[in-house]
Amino acid sequence: MGLRRCTTVIANLLIPVGILIFSSGFFPYKPLIPGLATLEADDVAPAIFDKVIFMVVDALRSDFVYSNHSGFQFTQSLIRSGAAVPFTAYASSPTVTMPRLKAITTGSVPSFLDVILNIAESDTSSTLAYQDTWLAQLKATGGRLVMYGDDTWLKLFPGMFDRADGTTSFFVSDFTEVDHNVTRHVSNELSQDDWSAFIMHYLGLDHIGHKAGPKSPFMVPKQQEMDGVVQEVYTAMQRQQHLQSTLLVLCGDHGMNEAGNHGGSSAGETSPALLFMSPKFETLGSRASPVEPSGDMVYYQRVEQADIAPTLAGLLGVPIPLNSLGVFIPDFLEMWSESSDQIRIQYQNAKQLLNTLTTTFPGSVFKPASIESCGKASSGMEGAQCAWAQVQHVLAGGPEGVAHSAAGPALSQFSRIAQAVMSRTASNYDVSRLGLGLLVTALAALFVLPTTVRECTRQKPPGLFLTMIVITYAIMMFASSYVEEEQQFWYWICSGWIFYLHIKSQSARPGHTRPSTMWPGAFSILLLAVCQRLLRRWNQTGQKFAAEPDIAHTFFGRHPEVFWLLLALTYLDAGFRLVRNARLPALARLGALAPAVLAFTFKLHFVASESPELLEGTFLSRVVGGWLYSVSLVLHARLVFGGLAAIALLALFGRKPSHSAQGRLASLIYCLPKSAMLIKTTATRESIHAALHVFLMTQSRATNVPLFLLFRVTARMIVAMNLTGFEVTITTLIFQYMTFFAFGGSNAISSVDLASAYNGVGSYNVALVGVLTFVSNWAGPIWWASQGHRLRSQSAHDASALLTFHVAMSMISVMAACTALRTHLFIWTVFSPKYLYSMAWALLNHAAINLLAEVLFSRSRHHIS
Amino acid sequence: MASDPLSPGASTPQTPTEKPSTPPVNILSSPISRVYSIIHPALLLALGATQFESVVANPTKGLLSTLPWFTLVQILYVIICLPPAGSTETTAPADGKSSSRSPGPASRHGKHGKRKQHVNSWTCIWSRLLPALLALALTFVLATPVLAALLVLFGAPLTTHNAETILGAAHMAVLSATALIYTHGLDRSVWNEVWGIARPADAVWGSALGTGLGAWFGAIPIPLDWDRPWQAFPITILTGAYIGYAVGSLAARTPILFGKRIVFAVEEVDDAEKKSN
Repeated sequence: MGLRRCTTVIANLLIPVGILIFSSGFFPYKPLIPGLATLEADDVAPAIFDKVIFMVVDALRSDFVYSNHSGFQFTQSLIRSGAAVPFTAYASSPTVTMPRLKAITTGSVPSFLDVILNIAESDTSSTLAYQDTWLAQLKATGGRLVMYGDDTWLKLFPGMFDRADGTTSFFVSDFTEVDHNVTRHVSNELSQDDWSAFIMHYLGLDHIGHKAGPKSPFMVPKQQEMDGVVQEVYTAMQRQQHLQSTLLVLCGDHGMNEAGNHGGSSAGETSPALLFMSPKFETLGSRASPVEPSGDMVYYQRVEQADIAPTLAGLLGVPIPLNSLGVFIPDFLEMWSESSDQIRIQYQNAKQLLNTLTTTFPGSVFKPASIESCGKASSGMEGAQCAWAQVQHVLAGGPEGVAHSAAGPALSQFSRIAQAVMSRTASNYDVSRLGLGLLVTALAALFVLPTTVRECTRQKPPGLFLTMIVITYAIMMFASSYVEEEQQFWYWICSGWIFYLHIKSQSARPGHTRPSTMWPGAFSILLLAVCQRLLRRWNQTGQKFAAEPDIAHTFFGRHPEVFWLLLALTYLDAGFRLVRNARLPALARLGALAPAVLAFTFKLHFVASESPELLEGTFLSRVVGGWLYSVSLVLHARLVFGGLAAIALLALFGRKPSHSAQGRLASLIYCLPKSAMLIKTTATRESIHAALHVFLMTQSRATNVPLFLLFRVTARMIVAMNLTGFEVTITTLIFQYMTFFAFGGSNAISSVDLASAYNGVGSYNVALVGVLTFVSNWAGPIWWASQGHRLRSQSAHDASALLTFHVAMSMISVMAACTALRTHLFIWTVFSPKYLYSMAWALLNHAAINLLAEVLFSRSRHHIS
Repeated sequence: MASDPLSPGASTPQTPTEKPSTPPVNILSSPISRVYSIIHPALLLALGATQFESVVANPTKGLLSTLPWFTLVQILYVIICLPPAGSTETTAPADGKSSSRSPGPASRHGKHGKRKQHVNSWTCIWSRLLPALLALALTFVLATPVLAALLVLFGAPLTTHNAETILGAAHMAVLSATALIYTHGLDRSVWNEVWGIARPADAVWGSALGTGLGAWFGAIPIPLDWDRPWQAFPITILTGAYIGYAVGSLAARTPILFGKRIVFAVEEVDDAEKKSN
């Protein structure tokens, strides 16, 4: 027994270690250098331009500008005259706006975490306000910035713009207004001379793509409209005195695929157009236009999107952003006539890259070593070290007097190698760490395997069912649609398990069943099945059927009276339980009703302020007057939480007939072990359960609250079935997962419910909000975890080993799927979010909820000794 | 799927202490019956395969138009291969064939002798056609609504696709209930066993259980994002049901499974658990 405990503990310690190792390989850590870059006097090359007009056309794929069918007639004429220098800028996956804008402005390669932030856009954590960007550099030189268009810029750069008008891209069906809202500012801004950067971000073309694809009849007219804006700006640059040395950049943040969507890594999505335009470029020579692509969607020269930042910095004469991985585009070097200036530009770029390189790899040494010792390495860290030695060798005496033909290739060589090394660390996976993480988690599973196998062989049918769950779940994790529709799996498993419980309850009866004894059993199983069926239809979730009608939205939307009736019933039941189980003398027990009443009025208050449509037209809307608003929501929530905490504390330390004052004192002194012991008394447990029940209801969406009544019915039916401990563990396991999805959860980051995350929280507090968010999203699983012990009152059974085995196995499946499918198109949109959810299941739901419940409530052999 | 909890590996054979219940049903002993009983599942699947495309094209219409044909084939099968309720042939061949396996109950039921066994006249056909028609009526009147309710409990839509659900239930009822009603009539003890999934395995019960399990497994491809028309609601489930029918019908009459039932030995486990703790 001691050994079994021990292996379970070791397994549970190994799982977080495995997750940590795997995560470090899966989400590479990239240190950010804080602060702004400054120029050393030696590096300064004269600026070519003093202003920049940065025109982003969302989803401007390369062929929209460069091909025969393009609507950009004027822009193409500029390419022919040489005034526009065209590129195809490679945008790495994830090809969604926010990470792409980060790449364009900082020059870095955003990671998956940026995608999460893009979706869960909490305004404070994803900003670039404290990062070095070419906007910050321009601002630092005293320039003013103006921005019109997609409000992602405003979220990324709060307080950066002197004049701005953000457009939200929420209404995708709007093709004209979003762009009109930008264009109406253009002529006014062109006549102003106070800005040094004028940013436009047009959304209409992207909306057309999402709605009707790249071949939509709206596409060419939209391109012509954009071309008109380019013409207006370019003409102003030619005519107006204050725009004489202004650079116009036209680019797409990402492309689109043939369906008009983006986010993945197909050629269409990763190939936006990029053009630098100014009359000054006519000296660089002209190009043909329109042209045929040289590769898949590649027109003209291919550069990295990150190269925009150092190129802009060089042309505008500002320092390159510190974390940039970009390389100055060599075509523009000819803009400087002095070869020393050309070397300065490249040398500045190389030094900045060296800085990021040494920050990321603190152990690496870049010394002016002799070139002979340097082998033939032309890539990787060794290659970078060699190339840097070469640079040091050539530039030993400073940039003056060195021919560009000598220094240029060495500098380019180093920059390209450094960029490749850094990009790989940002976007590539550390496969050895992925493997190690998998191995450690597998070791954890191995530790609890003997116990699990013993349990399973002892009770074959449920053991086989558990094996089937683990195996099918593992297979399922490799199919993106099953990951998206995981709820279907648990609903399916649940119906099968109820079928098993049915057979079991039938065959448990000795001999033949008589109708009189059979019907209550049949009734309870039918009720269980009906509850299960209601649960699965409560909230539609996932992707495929998300728009189908359900109870929480469709039915309650149409019949709010039914909703309020159920809600009131649920609170009535919860209040009754609170009163009955409160550890108070007879009359004072009624005081326990207060938290329940408060919780009910809080829910009413919350609905009235957050989703008033549920109140409209019901009798409650007349009853609920101004009195509700006399208390703030925050205070109201705190009152509820306070009342529930008081009940829980009373239950733990309150007057008990069997315990003397000394015992109470002792229990206060040895707080943890003693309280764990005290929880073993049934009355205490019931009281805490009742309080937890109301707490979970408070943290759930109002339309989900009646589910708790359903839970109570379901639990009662399960208790009546007299299951073995092992079967109860499987039942709670299935119901934990099933109810998570029934509450509207899914494996998409977008389904995280933040509505109740701020209950009772006055100001932003990461820990509190985190806990409340977890509780409000995992309310169902927490409820079932706390029920395990009530349902398992009969036999002593250690569930932790089994639960550990299951969580380790599901973690292994998800890790293996993420490792095997790391180049899959959906890795960022489906598998990585699933991995994050699995982390929450393993670290929060398993370790913090299930195991804690096991420890606190376990009625093991050292019963109050 | 290696670990289906209802697989025979999980079951224990009928324990001798149990009260005698209606024994497993044997296929009639005439050569035609034997041959056709093997051909029938294959024929049913072949018929289903030919109609698959029309059902996919229009599930309601397809299911409705194929239902009479499946019903006809099923009626032929029960008349040719199975003993009707109340007939003594239920157990007659078991005496010779599987005496080594289940001697107790089988021999007790053989007391009426074999007087009807080789009578092959119109009366005999009529004596089978009547219960078959009766079974058919009960299949549609009773079994179909019950199966439709079960389908809904197992996840079939309630607010939409009602015609599909009813038709699907009708198909499943024809597969599972017709033969059960035909061979057992309204014997309460048998139906209690059916409700408790505790019948001994035979061609009739095997195919009924196979139909249900097949339908359950048939739900698996529905969530896939392949956007195929055959992923629509009742089609995969019915496909599973038909395949399950064929597999169950054939598997349950193999000597390994015949006569065994699904029983979970609960009490022993409880004892073991208490001892070890």
